[in-house]
Amino acid sequence: MRCAIDTGGTFTDLALEHAGELRIFKRSTTPANPIEGILDVLGRAAAGLGTDRASLLGEITMLIHGTTRATNAVLTGGTAKTALITTLGHRDALLLREGGRLRSFDWSEEYPEPYIPRALTFEARERIDAQGQVLRELDEARLLADLDRLAELEVEAIAVCLLWSIVNPVHEERIGELIAARLPGTPYTLSHALNPTLREYRRTSSAAIDASLKPLMSSYLTNLESALREAGFGGELLLISTSGGLMHAREAAERPITSINSGPAMAPVAGRHFAAAHLDGADAIVADTGGTSYDVSVVRGGRIPMSRETWLGEPLTGHITGFPAIDVKSIGAGGGSIAWIDDGGLLHVGPQSAGADPGPAAYGRGGTRPTTTDACLVLGYLDPDRFLGGEMRLDPERARQAIARDIAEPLALDLEEAAAAIMALATEQMVQAIDEITVDAGIDPRRAVLVGGGGAAGLNSSAIMRRLGCEALVIPEAGAALSAVGALMADLSADFAQACFTSTDVFDAERVDGVIEALRARCRDFAASVGSADDQIELIAEARLLRQVWQIDVPVTVERFGADRGAVDAFVADFRRLHDEIFAVLDEESPVEIVALRARVTCALDGRASGRFAGASAAVANQREAYFSGRGWMTASVRPLRALEPGSALAGPALIESPLSTIVVEPGTVAVWQPESGLVITPAEQSDSDEEERHDVDAVSN
Amino acid sequence: MTSTQSATEGRLAKAGERFDPIALAVITSRVQGIVRRMTNTLFRTARSSVLNTARDFSCCIVTREHEMLACAESLPIHVMSGPDMVAAATARLHPKFRAGDAYLHNSPYHGNSHAGDHCIVVPVVDTEGEHRFTAIVKAHISDIGNSQPTTLWANAKDVYNEGALIFPGVKVQRDYADIPDIVEMCRTRIRVPDIWYGDYLGMIGAARIGERDLLELGAELGWEHLHEYTAAWFDYSEEMMAAAIRRMPAGRVEAHNTHDPVPAKGAEDGVPVAVAVTVDPEAARIEVDLRDNPDCVPCGINLTEATSRTAAMIGVFNSLPSRVPTNAGSFRRLDILLRENCIAGIPRHPVSCSTATTGIADRVANATQRAIADLGEGFGMAETGTLTATVVDLFGHDPRRDGAPFVNMMILGLTGGAGHFRGDGWLVSGEVGDGGLQMRDSTEVLELLYPLVVWADRVTIDTGGPGRRRGAPSCYVEYGPAGTRISGMWSTDGAVNAALGARGAHPGARAVQFLRRRDGSVSPLPGIGEIDLAPGETVIANSAAGAGYGAPWEREVARVAHDVREGLVSPAQAREAYGVVVSDGTLDEEATEKLRQELRRVAPAPPAELDFETGLREIIAQLDGYAGGTGLGGE
Repeated sequence: MRCAIDTGGTFTDLALEHAGELRIFKRSTTPANPIEGILDVLGRAAAGLGTDRASLLGEITMLIHGTTRATNAVLTGGTAKTALITTLGHRDALLLREGGRLRSFDWSEEYPEPYIPRALTFEARERIDAQGQVLRELDEARLLADLDRLAELEVEAIAVCLLWSIVNPVHEERIGELIAARLPGTPYTLSHALNPTLREYRRTSSAAIDASLKPLMSSYLTNLESALREAGFGGELLLISTSGGLMHAREAAERPITSINSGPAMAPVAGRHFAAAHLDGADAIVADTGGTSYDVSVVRGGRIPMSRETWLGEPLTGHITGFPAIDVKSIGAGGGSIAWIDDGGLLHVGPQSAGADPGPAAYGRGGTRPTTTDACLVLGYLDPDRFLGGEMRLDPERARQAIARDIAEPLALDLEEAAAAIMALATEQMVQAIDEITVDAGIDPRRAVLVGGGGAAGLNSSAIMRRLGCEALVIPEAGAALSAVGALMADLSADFAQACFTSTDVFDAERVDGVIEALRARCRDFAASVGSADDQIELIAEARLLRQVWQIDVPVTVERFGADRGAVDAFVADFRRLHDEIFAVLDEESPVEIVALRARVTCALDGRASGRFAGASAAVANQREAYFSGRGWMTASVRPLRALEPGSALAGPALIESPLSTIVVEPGTVAVWQPESGLVITPAEQSDSDEEERHDVDAVSN
Repeated sequence: MTSTQSATEGRLAKAGERFDPIALAVITSRVQGIVRRMTNTLFRTARSSVLNTARDFSCCIVTREHEMLACAESLPIHVMSGPDMVAAATARLHPKFRAGDAYLHNSPYHGNSHAGDHCIVVPVVDTEGEHRFTAIVKAHISDIGNSQPTTLWANAKDVYNEGALIFPGVKVQRDYADIPDIVEMCRTRIRVPDIWYGDYLGMIGAARIGERDLLELGAELGWEHLHEYTAAWFDYSEEMMAAAIRRMPAGRVEAHNTHDPVPAKGAEDGVPVAVAVTVDPEAARIEVDLRDNPDCVPCGINLTEATSRTAAMIGVFNSLPSRVPTNAGSFRRLDILLRENCIAGIPRHPVSCSTATTGIADRVANATQRAIADLGEGFGMAETGTLTATVVDLFGHDPRRDGAPFVNMMILGLTGGAGHFRGDGWLVSGEVGDGGLQMRDSTEVLELLYPLVVWADRVTIDTGGPGRRRGAPSCYVEYGPAGTRISGMWSTDGAVNAALGARGAHPGARAVQFLRRRDGSVSPLPGIGEIDLAPGETVIANSAAGAGYGAPWEREVARVAHDVREGLVSPAQAREAYGVVVSDGTLDEEATEKLRQELRRVAPAPPAELDFETGLREIIAQLDGYAGGTGLGGE
């Protein structure tokens, strides 16, 4: 049996399939020791299944774990005391960064501190050039003196990043040997081994973040594995990687940076699965709405695009992981985002959030500023008595007061219009986040399916779908725990990369084919280790035009290039077409340089979960007044999700409720419950929608 | 601010009555998104490191009336004023724009910033043939066909001596295809034409992305609705500007500074710059008068009309008490007074404006914000360091590519943000005109693309101007050729005249530059320099640092101690300038308090020049026998 556990900031989610039914369990995360939360949710699951924890663990053959532990450690400064060794003359790579910032004339922010302080940065006297030639030998005596100084400073981890180690690692490797000999037991990271990427800031940042996580993550993963074994687990422990693949826990301990964003990375994998029935060659946009952030990722032509631009914190002023990662764009918009008005009378939503404490005004826990949750309550989308399955009662009066005072009165709008405006703006910001990531990836939202995950996704996803003009919106029933369920249901995959430089004018087919074969071998090894019978391997070349310095991803469609020039020409043609699509730049002259090859193996496993939850609910249908911009108050049908008949259509306006979320089906859209995917919402046919409109008017006048 | 205040001003703006405030926010977000996509396109596709790494380019959208609408994260000196005049000048020469047109513009006499910035101007023409907006991409091109391989040349006597091809808005594409004769003209005059053409394709792509997105936006929202939006957005931005100015103290203030000497008549002893700023909170207007400046000089440092206006605007926007959108709407509240034939005014052909985005422009912006600082605590800003030899035009042949020629502007250093009332100088801000948005080169990208070794790229201790808010320190850069000879040209301002402090703070370190020969000897180089470097030789350039804001002895002791710990301030400077005593790494609180009392009582005037020699000499010595010298081929 496979089991997935996702440790988030607030909740630890567990998903497994038992007796043909998908089951989800949630317990609070225990930040001080997340292993407790994991054992706790396992105990809760065992109880729910009428067994004990040891027996349950005994049945689990594969435990897939996602965790925000590494991300949180970086964001909250909970990492090890880490030193950096760089090339002489370049001690400030982490301070100077690549320059740039997001806003001019905004002098309210302070220049960011380097990830590792200058005081803990040491310079190795050595130099290698761009061709890998040693210009200056490593001064070992000087380095050993620095290592002794690190011992005095009680440094807990060391990052090593020298210029051009990606071309010739000899000095980094030697420094590694010297550290192991002089400071045995002190974990260290060599930049070329971790992340062989061009640009010293990115590679240094990767190495620095990785090293700083090593003490924490290796003890966490070791302790987790032994706690699980003690509790009766005998299967394989896999960690979700930053690239949405899986890795064995021991690999994750060796390269802990690859577990950053380990949770959100599974969202597009899950999204691809749930949207599969509707994709039919279309692209998918996967959006996960949390309390404070909105994470967007995409699936393009069945693939999940990767990015090297992952920042912890704001782009340019945060810390770049410099690591290939699932392209997830996060903005500060979610259920807790605060609505406010600036000096010029312009409405804003977020990025500030009321969080869970004090929370939206309607929580009645001391929060007085209006949030999107308050707006949804005023608009009638949320049932004050049934929020989170009735666990919390919302106070509509507090929501109304907050919106009236902060938004409606200053803008001279009706209360409902003000609430609708908050949702419209939040929707627009989410649309912008989607726009940026889709345009960068060359995806046309109008030919894409939107997948809405997260507890608050249902509230405005159908508005986002309409605004983007998407073909359909899919809200999986398991969307509230998208990552855990995704990890459980999705195919298992792993990613491998290898640097491989060549140019199409002097194509080194032998070398490229050698790298392709090596990557395929690693893919097959992984497939064997997880017991896969059927696996698929996808190959991507990172390529650019001569003298460009940024690559785009181009699929490699041949088994091997061999001596056939035609295969190279076809690759060049693919590159040019993609480059023109993304950038409107068509260069018929320049040769194409390949910088690296990547492979992803996808293993289809037997006995994958069906994704269907336990039996239908008996709750009765109902109706409620809800407000829609440009339409006014309308009577919306209210249905429990579990009570929907598979395949039958329900026209908006409607509100579909489940214990974990409410889904707003806007007027002009139709929802169909499709057990394989979830609730599928599409724009109504034109004629139907006219009919609908008349019906709506009647409903209001009645 | 309290919510009551916010609500009051919200009512004043009456945004809701003029244009749906939601649509206002939504469309603004979409328009800025279009500019960001344009920017991303050129950044990802360009061939020169000045564009694909240092991002010395800007993208923007102007209205059909040629008013600046949106410039997202563009460099302020490129866009605040300039693209508007560029679009207008192009329209005058080509009264009927057609879909598929693209124009090349770099004329300093027709609204551009300086000849080194090529603009691609794409009119957005709808299906009915109506011109709706103009998408503009402005990029600092590595070579523009000047008589010398540089695009910032202070010594250029006039535009003829400068030598660039000047395009006052020349049609370069028709029906979405190149006009071959114009492209061929460029290819026969511009050095390393293949690189230029690759960068040109990226610029065209960026402008076309902007055009495509605007056409979609117009088709979706309706063009009239979009034009109503632009009017409302300008009104909103003007109101934001007015609200900011109403919070400033009234007064007329003047400030002066000096551009370094240039060997040309009238500039041999340096060029004095004078700025007079009048803030009128009642009328909610600010006037900047630049007319009391010298006439144009026979060298390349004269400003263009675009950079004269923009420099003054930058000084004002840096000094505002709150953030205001930068577009034609907020600019309505500014009166920039210029005169013809003035070094900071409107140049007459054929004076050269080769360095018009730097040099005098930095001096004007710096003087403007320092003048405003004199109005009271909590306003204005000190002076940012000026452009120095860490930014250099390099030209040569690459032995690794069969001797293929290369030309590029290397952008390293680039530290020197000014202290301001809120915080310390932004470290990576090379000039006041970049707004901290300029990116910098990567050593590895430079060495990959060009036959160079960058031996050092690091900040220098004791160089940031001490103040309650410290100026950003200098950057020490040392580079030389790898296995070949390369020529370099730079036009430094700031080797003689440092950035000046505001409200009692110290100046930043001035720029210095040296040649390290193969034998290890180190000798000074001039501020405006041309050099032919042999293998094993290196140039050492220490950039101009930012100046401080406020008396240094008022700086929080913890911040000073942090700077000492991090090696940005020496214990000696901590004691002398800040009155903070740190011995053997430990803060002596008692001695500090005593020393600070004394400083507060005497309140010594800031020194004329900052002492940073010791720290600099240490770095030079540390790299002796390491940087340059033997083992680099060519011996």
